[in-house]
Amino acid sequence: MSTLYEELFTAILEGNNEITPRLVQKGLDEGWVPKDILDHGLVVGMNEVGARFKAGDMYVPEVLMSAEAMQAGLKILRPLLVSSGAQLIGKIVLGTVKGDLHDIGKNLVGMMCEGAGFEVIDLGFNVEPERFVEAIKQHQPQIVGMSALLTTTMRAMAHTIKAIEEAGLRDKVKIMVGGASVDAEFSRRIGADGYGSNAPAGVDLAKRFVGAV
Amino acid sequence: MRTNYRVNSGVHFHMLSEDQLEELFWGVLQTLEQTGLEVQHDQARDILKKAGAWVDGLRVRVPSYLVRRSLALAPRSFTLFARDGNPKHNLHIGPGRAHFGPGPTCPNFIDVESLERRPYVKNDVPLVAEVVDALPNIDFCEPLGAVSDVHPALGALYEFSGMFPNTSKPIAAWPHNKFDSAGIHQIAVAEAGSQAAFEQRPTYIYGCEPLSPLVSTFEALDKLIFAAERRVPLIFAPCPTAGGTAPVTPAGIIIQGAAEAWLGLTIAQAIQPGLPFIMGGVFTVMDMDSMSRAYGAPELSLIMAGLTELAHYAGLPMWQTGGCTDSKMLDGQAMIEGSLSCFFSALAGGDLTHAVGYTDSAMTGSVFQLAAMDEAIGYSRRITRGIEVNEDTLAVDVIHHVGPNGHYLREKHTRRHYKTEFWRPNLCDRRNFEEWDAMGRTTMKDRTVARVQDILASHQPSPIKPETQAVIHQVLAEAEERVR
Repeated sequence: MSTLYEELFTAILEGNNEITPRLVQKGLDEGWVPKDILDHGLVVGMNEVGARFKAGDMYVPEVLMSAEAMQAGLKILRPLLVSSGAQLIGKIVLGTVKGDLHDIGKNLVGMMCEGAGFEVIDLGFNVEPERFVEAIKQHQPQIVGMSALLTTTMRAMAHTIKAIEEAGLRDKVKIMVGGASVDAEFSRRIGADGYGSNAPAGVDLAKRFVGAV
Repeated sequence: MRTNYRVNSGVHFHMLSEDQLEELFWGVLQTLEQTGLEVQHDQARDILKKAGAWVDGLRVRVPSYLVRRSLALAPRSFTLFARDGNPKHNLHIGPGRAHFGPGPTCPNFIDVESLERRPYVKNDVPLVAEVVDALPNIDFCEPLGAVSDVHPALGALYEFSGMFPNTSKPIAAWPHNKFDSAGIHQIAVAEAGSQAAFEQRPTYIYGCEPLSPLVSTFEALDKLIFAAERRVPLIFAPCPTAGGTAPVTPAGIIIQGAAEAWLGLTIAQAIQPGLPFIMGGVFTVMDMDSMSRAYGAPELSLIMAGLTELAHYAGLPMWQTGGCTDSKMLDGQAMIEGSLSCFFSALAGGDLTHAVGYTDSAMTGSVFQLAAMDEAIGYSRRITRGIEVNEDTLAVDVIHHVGPNGHYLREKHTRRHYKTEFWRPNLCDRRNFEEWDAMGRTTMKDRTVARVQDILASHQPSPIKPETQAVIHQVLAEAEERVR
């Protein structure tokens, strides 16, 4: 690993959202390829964050700071990745389901998936089943992720899966669900393909879905 | 007869000083006046504007004089009545009175036969109500789950319809919207005889939940307006999570949650001056590992107690929380977390402590946890009853009479007092080892399960009027038709 990658690794782990974009810019100025900066700098850093979280050495507030640092770096890289036609490891459409306004967890999943090298289309919160269907048609993601915090809005996940089925798109996507009120049993019952109990677990699941593990 | 002699009734518990409470009070007023809330309901914003609030788009700021006026209008004391007139099941809310009951919305339930965890269904509702009706230390009813086997829009209606005939204790209803609210109210009014009769002796209380941080959602306000117009006592209670949707510190989450409640209070008092209004909610911490809300955390009890003191300082009764656990089993963890929070609620004097019987971080309702907590509440109530000091209890003359080397078993004094002085366990076992061994070495869990099954086999709640049963059928039929 070069010094730039080591510095990026540290900046991500420390959740430093000022140094991270500066290092990314420095890398670009020195002629490093955007995709390499993403894969060997940002993604490697976020992978370590995920591992430490799983081991109980990092907690959610720190994970969030690291994800935001990564986002600050990705902001510079994104247009360059698009224009160079770089292939990300997959595309994910995310949203909090209809009736639910909670999005902290979903935002964290989004940030960490980007940190893992995915392209993420975030539909926001209170997303109707129809909007998920439209987004699948428009963006053709490999994965659709749904989040719900409330026990009273979980059912919207089942409605959304139904809408995706009725649109003939169910076999085009892998569906993963998460949120405080959701569990593996519920996810099985509504016909989702997987459940993540926290953001790093969601990322792992997404990686497995695209065969990137 | 004594002069200049102060008596403590019960145990006294005080966490915050008057000065600290005034600071917290000011923090709430400041938040309401300077930050304000997002009010997502047009009519509610109009009501607030007419009452004197400052409306700027969706953001509403409430000047402190208006908050104070609304607080002054809301009663500190009121009564919720048993639907059958049984005075023992009336619930009088007032200073120093701590009541307990289950909670709503758990997606899962511990099956009463198999003891397995599975989705909560409509046939579970009557079971919960019967157990509530029978348990001596449970004072009000909630379904302990959200029915999963009916159309989602009808859940609350089926829950109320299942509880109302099976307990005469007051019910806390959690409708989803105006439509199931109307159905629920129709049932309660039918049993009362008329709207006027209901207003004089309300038999249910109505729950609304705004969103943290600082959002009064359309649904919560639409429901609030419905209840206020019909003079149904109202709970307006958010569920903020410290470190997530509320400040990480107890003082901070208390201030935010109180601001969220008093926005609702202002609207309610503008519509119906003097409407009984209960503030509170489920305030706890975010477990920074799992991002879940920790229902068994000590901070829950701490924050709820602080909020209780603020509520009482401001002159409002409190919707408290206790008797919950993050454990998935009826085990030691469930007993520690549940009992300590029940005891703390009893100590803090939170008027209505709900969610007793929540397990698995509120994902699974358990009548076994509820029954075990009934024991813990009885135990706590014995302690918080305190020590009575008078001529008779001092027993100086009895001590003199018995003298050295005597005993008290035969004394009239002992006979007169032991049944009221000593708490008798229903579930805790005090037999000696050999007897316990001979009787099958039962555990707390064994005895709790047996008690619940015994209640379900033998307890008969008082029935509702046949006319009310007909109204229930009609209301459910109409509701099913509407969703078709």
